[in-house]
Amino acid sequence: MREDLVIRGAHVLDPSSGLDGPTDVRLVAGRVAEIGDGLRGTRHLDADGLHLFPGFVDVHAHWRTPGREDEETIETGSAAAAAGGFTSVVMMPNTDPIVDKPVVVSGLVRRIEKESRVRAHVSAALHEGLKGERLTEMRLLKEAGAFCVSDDGLGTQSAGVLRNGMLYAKTAGLPVILHCEDHTLATGVVHEGAAAALAGLPGSPGSAEDAATATALVLAAETGAKVHITHVSTALSAALVGFFRDRADVTADITPHHLTLTDELVGTLDGTYRVNPPLRPRDDGIGVVEALRDGILDFVATDHAPHASEEKELPLEEAAPGFLGHETAFAALYTEIVLKNRLLLPRLVEAMASAPGSWIGGAGSISVGAPADLVLVDLSEEWTVRAEAIVSRSGNSPYLGWSLKGRIAGTTVGGELIHDGMGARFGARI
Amino acid sequence: MRAKDFITLEGVTKQDLRDVLNLARDFADGRALGMLAGKTVCLAFFEASTRTAVSFELAARRAGAVVISLSEKGSAIQKGESLLDTVVTLDRLGADAIVIRHPSAGAARLAARHTNAAIINAGDGCGQHPTQALLDLHTLSDALGGFDGLAGRKIALVGDILHSRVARSVIPAFRAAGAEVALVAPRTLLPLDAGAWDLPILPSVDDALDWGADVLYALRLQNERMTGGSPRIPSVAEYARYYGVARRHLAGGALVMHPGPVNRGVEISGDVVLDPSSLIPAQVASGVAVRSAVLALTTGAVESRVAA
Repeated sequence: MREDLVIRGAHVLDPSSGLDGPTDVRLVAGRVAEIGDGLRGTRHLDADGLHLFPGFVDVHAHWRTPGREDEETIETGSAAAAAGGFTSVVMMPNTDPIVDKPVVVSGLVRRIEKESRVRAHVSAALHEGLKGERLTEMRLLKEAGAFCVSDDGLGTQSAGVLRNGMLYAKTAGLPVILHCEDHTLATGVVHEGAAAALAGLPGSPGSAEDAATATALVLAAETGAKVHITHVSTALSAALVGFFRDRADVTADITPHHLTLTDELVGTLDGTYRVNPPLRPRDDGIGVVEALRDGILDFVATDHAPHASEEKELPLEEAAPGFLGHETAFAALYTEIVLKNRLLLPRLVEAMASAPGSWIGGAGSISVGAPADLVLVDLSEEWTVRAEAIVSRSGNSPYLGWSLKGRIAGTTVGGELIHDGMGARFGARI
Repeated sequence: MRAKDFITLEGVTKQDLRDVLNLARDFADGRALGMLAGKTVCLAFFEASTRTAVSFELAARRAGAVVISLSEKGSAIQKGESLLDTVVTLDRLGADAIVIRHPSAGAARLAARHTNAAIINAGDGCGQHPTQALLDLHTLSDALGGFDGLAGRKIALVGDILHSRVARSVIPAFRAAGAEVALVAPRTLLPLDAGAWDLPILPSVDDALDWGADVLYALRLQNERMTGGSPRIPSVAEYARYYGVARRHLAGGALVMHPGPVNRGVEISGDVVLDPSSLIPAQVASGVAVRSAVLALTTGAVESRVAA
């Protein structure tokens, strides 16, 4: 891209570089070239009244490729990500086949180059077949292009395998993303609480997550591996992460749905509301919002998990677990958390952009020389989540019918407008 | 009670119960025969059943309906047809009511969102079994001199509350009828949040009698619904010692109920089932009239007396 583009007049908010006010940003050759008032360029985008944030980063997405392209593809998943303001995404390995061989990784990397609108990174499996037995060839996986390793979807049931996995990942120089769930405790389909008791749904207790989180944290501290605990959903697990913050190289994320929804929804017995970890009671919801506010939980990740309607139009206990996440993440959090005065907007931007961007490295910041991965948001626009407007190939959003505030007006990756919610208000040369 | 569907007893009122029980009395006394003439009732049982299936079939036939019975074997369910496609098919074929038994909670509610036919829940997983609770009320009304005889009575639910759809229906039903309810079970067979119902929890059948139980309502140990490999009771002997209803518990005049099928010698000793203080045979007998009444109300064969 030889031409430059000036985004004019947006309220630029980036806590990582201390920007918080209306100004202009000039993009040249895919990077931020200049930040300041009265900038000129060959093209301009009039962004008066909009906010400009660093592009959001989602370290947890299921694009169902390879194997379930009827539910999501790299093309549709990345389009959904772009529509949600995400400019970098990490793809989880629990596909079919599972991403546990170098050839699968290299195939994905090639397809991402061709098909993805956003920057996408491949997480390989921590163990073969995600069975929790044999470690994957992590160094070869890394050479093939794997960004990290993960046991997402199932977790690792043997502490011994988990410990060796961490040690070997450290050798390979790969971060480890962990799904913490003890299967001897997690025998149900929803949180084991009052809502499950009344509805007659088999419950999994909070301890199923907490015990596995504690094990993972202890092993992270001992091995020194770079460990990221994904989708922390209980107040106790958040507190455990806080306890280990200075004792291990550990970070943690939380999903928009665990920050905004509670297990009361499972009383509907609607398969839509099955998710793993399950929706938790109100007290956990309050606890994790506070943990995000206080930085005990580092950032937000969506666990974007598309499912075909035949996997969701079932009694809850037979439905596949998971929600769409990309397209509603910012608006759900802005509406339900920020506008309800439970989190400040700069912290939300940090939690969706700067913090995960710094975890993946080199993303999530608006500064001269940084990649021009940006999101323009209209905070005043109210919109209704409608099935027919969803960009993802699937429709399993828990927010269908909700009225949300804060609309993604535009997303750029490397200076290219990859999502345009404004009808491209490009101006002429001035 | 005027609803297309009959799914749950959560939130049921005393008047709702009186309404359906009055109609059941008409059926039991032979005053409402033929009320379902011209109606088609489909029984879709996705899970094994003896008494509920037979009882619904008799209830529909005696009231004059045409009955189609569908079981997992010999239907398209065996070919992998989904619950939803099966009920939509029955609906479009012209069923007035579809009676569903299914191993997952919420199955009947899901079906009701997609059909014009009345959906009647004949038991869904650990969720609800509302006609069981109605026939229990019908039986108790007979034993206690009428529906108003339930007010102030003490009913102890004994056994596997956690996995019991019967418990989830009788708890709101008994309370709506004015009875007091207590739960008698080890913590492994209660929801973790046992306070969800705000009911007293007692440690044994003997304690239930000390509490003043008029009725001991025993529940079956539902091994087939227990998830996970971890044992929930140490032994049948220990379970029966504290949570089994034995003949010695009957001396003070307590009545015994059980929704069936009974595990003799586990939750109830064999010599209690047919004892004069046992209402178990009467419970089964009540099922037909109660289910006829539910079919009549949900298919619009009879107008609601509440609405009138």
